[in-house]
Amino acid sequence: MMIITSTGRIIAFAWKNFTRNAWIGLATIVVLVLSTLSVNILLGVNAVSDSALHRLEDKIDVSVYFLPETPPVILDSARAYMASLPQTKEIDLLSSDQALNDFKERHKNDPKILTALGELDKNPLGASIIIKAKTTADYPFLVEALQNPQFANYVESKTYDDNAAAIQRVQQISQSARYFGIMLIAIFTIFSILIVYNSIRIAIYTQREELGIMRLVGAGTAFVRLPLILSGVLQAILALLITALIVMTAIAFLDPKLRSLFDGGDSGLQGYFLINAWPLIGIQSAAIILLVALSSWAAAGKYLKK
Amino acid sequence: MIVLKRVSKVYPPDVHGLRDLSLHIKPGEFVSIVGTSGAGKTTLAKLLIAEERPTRGTIEIGGWDITNIKQREVPLLRRQIGVIFQDFKLLQKKTVWENVAFALEVAGETRRRIYDVVPHVLKIVGLDQKAHRFPQQLSGGEQQRVVIARSLVHRPKILLADEPTGNLDTMNTREIIDVLKKINSFGSTVVLVTHNREVVNALRQRVITLAEGRVISDQAEGKYLLPS
Repeated sequence: MMIITSTGRIIAFAWKNFTRNAWIGLATIVVLVLSTLSVNILLGVNAVSDSALHRLEDKIDVSVYFLPETPPVILDSARAYMASLPQTKEIDLLSSDQALNDFKERHKNDPKILTALGELDKNPLGASIIIKAKTTADYPFLVEALQNPQFANYVESKTYDDNAAAIQRVQQISQSARYFGIMLIAIFTIFSILIVYNSIRIAIYTQREELGIMRLVGAGTAFVRLPLILSGVLQAILALLITALIVMTAIAFLDPKLRSLFDGGDSGLQGYFLINAWPLIGIQSAAIILLVALSSWAAAGKYLKK
Repeated sequence: MIVLKRVSKVYPPDVHGLRDLSLHIKPGEFVSIVGTSGAGKTTLAKLLIAEERPTRGTIEIGGWDITNIKQREVPLLRRQIGVIFQDFKLLQKKTVWENVAFALEVAGETRRRIYDVVPHVLKIVGLDQKAHRFPQQLSGGEQQRVVIARSLVHRPKILLADEPTGNLDTMNTREIIDVLKKINSFGSTVVLVTHNREVVNALRQRVITLAEGRVISDQAEGKYLLPS
């Protein structure tokens, strides 16, 4: 019975603490919102840059041009071999007839080229296969695989050699961007933790006299500490709700604008927050509530010794 | 009731708050402890509520040896001793009623008991009509009466008043002393730490005079002996 009474009182004290220290609480809430918001902004920026890099990586492929006289069986075996490799994401075979049709279609307004093409006895274009790798790091391996003696002698040319430098550069940029993004999020998280801890300490410092009086009239540790921790948790919950509202509004406003930069495609912003909504809410809520509770517990402890 | 045996308190590096002090205060006594600044009055008050621990000697309150009291036992001790300070020490964001009730709430008392005791003690100190005011809406004398009411809720056997009239005018001082006398008449031991000559002389009760951490005088119906 006494435990129920005491628990009820601790919750009631926490609520009164929360409402009567509204201005100090507001400052803490603002700090909490800014901290969680800065982490979410970085997550959003990271998602958009990641999406941009993925789009860039998607544009990369290796085109392998075969000699016009390459037998279809060789083409099929080359296609099957390359498709069987785990590094291959996508493979397309373009026959010599399709290549000729595409060429004619591309130059249909250029009668000189079409006339020159008509004077030839046979199709001058060979077949080609277009390979997309799972990651940009897989391209050197796939190019190496094209040296397979079963069909290597029929390969006239391949585009990778022309694009190798560009592919490597994109690869470096994406690695650096991801590394930098993770570092930035880690640094901001540490800053946020320090700022939140200190703002809680300041908030409790302003109540140090009250804590002393509580001890003086016979309040046990739990009666002094738990209401402070609970009111801190209430502030954290309010801050999380405000942050969620700001993040959702920002996504709704920014996503259509970013889509135009991505040729109407997905910017990755909305998708990232939708797919990761529950883990993001769970991790951030748990982290902030735990941080506030531990900060309050530690900061209050200093005034409980007398 | 209160027994101090050869108590010394030394603050590092070598500041002596109390030196080899022995005292015996009987139940129901009204004792004034007087002395100049630095005589050891406040150190003595802090030792009695276990805010400080003695360097040497023993302290007993109501038969309980509190010399090396554990931190978790301090709240229990403080529920048995009513404490009144010069600077009131009221919770500014709580009303008069809440300030008084708080001392019962932290002790886990039932709602029914709280609603029974709080109006009663507020009536004793004459503040039953101002129960819902906040401390800053009261005069100094009224704030001190709230503190007295709060200290009475556990029906303490001992009431320790450390300079309770230090911030009050003559009128309010008289009111507070009358309340303390009233509480003493109910059977509580009152220990009044003060340097107010008029108050001590008007009381005509036991006076213990401290100087440099020692008892230099202990008179059953004493007067304020120190020069102004």
